[in-house]
Amino acid sequence: MKKKVIGLIDGQSGNIGSINKAIKDIIKGRPYRLKIIKGHFNYSSFDKIILPGQGAYATLMSNLKKLKIIKPLKEYLENNSSYLGICVGMQILSDWGYEDKITRGLGVISGDIKKFRNKKLIIPHMGWNTINLNNDDTIITNSFDKKDFYFVHSYIFQNIKKSNVLAFTHYGQKFPSIVKKGNIYGVQFHPEKSHKHGLNLIKNYILKS
Amino acid sequence: MLKTRIIPCLDVIKNKVVKGVNFKNIRVMGNAVEMAKYYSLSGADELCMLDINASYQNRKTFIKTVESIAKVINIPLTVGGGVSNLSDITDLLNAGADKVSINSAAVKNPKLIRQASLRHGSQCIVVAIDGKRHKNKMKVVIKGGREITKNELITWAKKVQTLGAGEILMTSMDTDGVQNGFDSNMLKKVTSNVGIPVIASGGVGSLEHFYLGYLTKSTGLLAASVFHSRKYKIKTVKKYLSSKGVPVRL
Repeated sequence: MKKKVIGLIDGQSGNIGSINKAIKDIIKGRPYRLKIIKGHFNYSSFDKIILPGQGAYATLMSNLKKLKIIKPLKEYLENNSSYLGICVGMQILSDWGYEDKITRGLGVISGDIKKFRNKKLIIPHMGWNTINLNNDDTIITNSFDKKDFYFVHSYIFQNIKKSNVLAFTHYGQKFPSIVKKGNIYGVQFHPEKSHKHGLNLIKNYILKS
Repeated sequence: MLKTRIIPCLDVIKNKVVKGVNFKNIRVMGNAVEMAKYYSLSGADELCMLDINASYQNRKTFIKTVESIAKVINIPLTVGGGVSNLSDITDLLNAGADKVSINSAAVKNPKLIRQASLRHGSQCIVVAIDGKRHKNKMKVVIKGGREITKNELITWAKKVQTLGAGEILMTSMDTDGVQNGFDSNMLKKVTSNVGIPVIASGGVGSLEHFYLGYLTKSTGLLAASVFHSRKYKIKTVKKYLSSKGVPVRL
């Protein structure tokens, strides 16, 4: 049986150690292969791509550009191939990011990444918070509804179509914590830091569909 | 709703968790990797570990310990102690730390906070502040409270936020190690003057102390002895807080 290939993009935006380890543990003894993507890649040679990210939107976009990852990643996403973006890796699916400076995103899921509106909030939104599922999903199943995940961010997905919001979370306002369009998923929290529910989410993403 | 974080803190020398008041009567409490694993499994929301004897000889083993811990836990890890420049921060992040905490080095060279947060993002830069009352004023102290700096506590807390700190780890040297409770007065002053998360540290001895810590609007509550001595399990603390209406991750 041919092994499925999972690509993990190292966008030099924070540490990929935890997610790397999580994936390795999951695919151990299963027909999958993990490849770290550090530069241009052939989009048709991957079955799934995961992009973790920390820090600023503009930084991740410019890193991906320098590494020549933008073009193949766009081609990959335009084919509705399976993708999981984590934190900033989710945010760059949008049209525009407003952190530091206005930056064009990948434009896969329409909307903008803007700061929390409430000026009195403690920012960053840092810690464990609950996700509320809008509907059952093949990967993000009902078992994840009302579970806590670890968040660290100051910007949120805004002006997004309701149909692209799979789960939402409350922090001063309601905001999308999981977005989805076809086979493309984005999570605002860090599943790799979210103990067992986080690991189960990564496991579902890799093994299901 | 955002949950209040319960954070066990490991004071580490090389690969051992130790306990000692102001570096005196240091006692080994256990193996750092095993304790970290235990806390991660038993419901800690985050883990903090500090190199309390960051000498050149001990540093290598400490970094190895950070690497081993990062491999066995899947909750956020904050590492501090002996961080003096940008390359120390990079080393710890590469070893698997999610956040790095800077203390004395930030006081001596405040620009370090800005440089570090620009390079790695504010979310992973924690500034640890040790506060102490001196001549009716709250001052920033370094070297475990032995040296009083010219910085006034609140001015400094506001400044570290402006410089790009993502979080403040606030320890009161007036209450640390005494187990009579957090320094509510000092913590409230800090939380009401900054807009970034504050972790309360120093002085927890009872369950009620955790609740009083929550009332200071600190979003993280850090404790060492009550957990290491097994006086309380993390679950016990969380159940208690939950019964008082505090949002926690159960």
